[in-house]
Amino acid sequence: MVSDSITTASIPPAQNARDFGKKKRAHRSAKLKQCKLDARREQWLSQCTAKNKGCKDENNGGVQRRNGGNRSLEDLEMNSRGEEMDGSIRQYRDLDSPSNSPTSEIGSVLDAADSGTNFTGSSSSGSSSSGGSCSGCITEDEEGGGEDDGCLDDWEAVADALAADEDGKGQSQNPCSESPPQGDSVGQVVSPSQVTDNSMGVGGGIPKPECPKTIPGASGNSRAWRPDDAFRPQSLPNLSKQQSLPNPHRHYGGGIAWACNSAVPAPSSCPVCYEDLDFTDSSFLPCLCGFRLCLFCHKRILEEDGRCPGCRKPYENPAEVEASVNGGSLTFRLARSCSMITRS
Amino acid sequence: MISGGRGGKSAPSASSWAVSASGKRIQREMAELNLDPPPDCSAGPKGDNLYHWVATILGPQGTPYEGGIYFLDITFPSDYPFKPPKVVFKTRIFHCNVDTAGVLSLDILKDSWSPALTITKVLLAIRAIFTNPDPSDSPLIPGIARLYLADRAKHDELAAEWTRRFAK
Repeated sequence: MVSDSITTASIPPAQNARDFGKKKRAHRSAKLKQCKLDARREQWLSQCTAKNKGCKDENNGGVQRRNGGNRSLEDLEMNSRGEEMDGSIRQYRDLDSPSNSPTSEIGSVLDAADSGTNFTGSSSSGSSSSGGSCSGCITEDEEGGGEDDGCLDDWEAVADALAADEDGKGQSQNPCSESPPQGDSVGQVVSPSQVTDNSMGVGGGIPKPECPKTIPGASGNSRAWRPDDAFRPQSLPNLSKQQSLPNPHRHYGGGIAWACNSAVPAPSSCPVCYEDLDFTDSSFLPCLCGFRLCLFCHKRILEEDGRCPGCRKPYENPAEVEASVNGGSLTFRLARSCSMITRS
Repeated sequence: MISGGRGGKSAPSASSWAVSASGKRIQREMAELNLDPPPDCSAGPKGDNLYHWVATILGPQGTPYEGGIYFLDITFPSDYPFKPPKVVFKTRIFHCNVDTAGVLSLDILKDSWSPALTITKVLLAIRAIFTNPDPSDSPLIPGIARLYLADRAKHDELAAEWTRRFAK
């Protein structure tokens, strides 16, 4: 119990950070509803703690402690496994279990215990197990205080609107990890005559109402994150970056850059005059074959035969072809200006 | 003259740029040639003039030119490497691509010249035509080309005799 409250107390910072956004969406009516809920929960908790006391009186404390140890182990496991999401989901589940599970257990487990109300309508074993979740509720309420109001409103009001995969993730993990220890605790706490009943009733009864809930959730969970999903802040930008990066790259590396990459590694000096290539020269790629040379040599070659030294094909300059129609001297100037254009 | 460096580039005068640039280029080629000489070849300036070289090519093994030492004159134009160097055989050779004056018909020394070629590659190309004469494409000496195509043994015998007579 104690360890449970500690582990759950470690969750709320993440919860609160997440729930601040949700708090904005909280409504007044929901808060009123929340007050009602709180009152009801307190009532149930008081009865639950009373029930726990009774349970302690009935059974030896070792079992209780062991039961709490199981809980804490589960919580630790969940904490380590789950992300911040799990905390809120667990909270949702813990809130859920007092309202749902006792009522669902009523029919099967009632016979063993003095079931006065709906909320305490569980056997001694059931109370101990639900007491674990109940303690989670207490610590969260105490911890969160006013801040948790919005969150609780949320889970009350927005639970349906929440992404189904989130629920499924939280609950598909929880019942699996939780139900076996419950079964153990049931088996050890309760007398042999009750073991058969409860192991059938509680151990089989608890998962039953949850299983129909979890399986569709899990099936929803198994699908990948949608890019427009609100709960994937880290991975989505990466994906979009990865998708957006190749496009400019591919766009940038058209025919020319591709040829440069595949054919000739950029030399540090001009292969014609052996002068070092400066930045302008090294970014200058006059021919599709990828042969690089400095601007001076390129100009010089254009003045003569205008063929690429690398592939011996004439440099393809549209402007030069155009200008060659007009006249030789014009070819000169345009060829130079064209080289400037291609350089930039 | 052979100042090299950026000074030649910044100068607007084309002739001084060409000379200094070609000088730098030739110096670099010489350094590379000494560092990694091609097989059976050597080359270097004849004297003080960087633009006049002497090259030697040893007749490749397995050819009738084997054992011969062939001297070549290499003259770099001032606008080298934009213009090809002139290569002339100083040693007489029985070869369909080399005329009696020692003038060499080699495509890369004419139309197929590229400023990206170096004297090392030229020497290797010349050595290659020792091994594989090119009689098909307008040979300088059609008689030797015809003989090479018609009677290879006779051609080789004559070439070997010339090698013994002139190249040793």
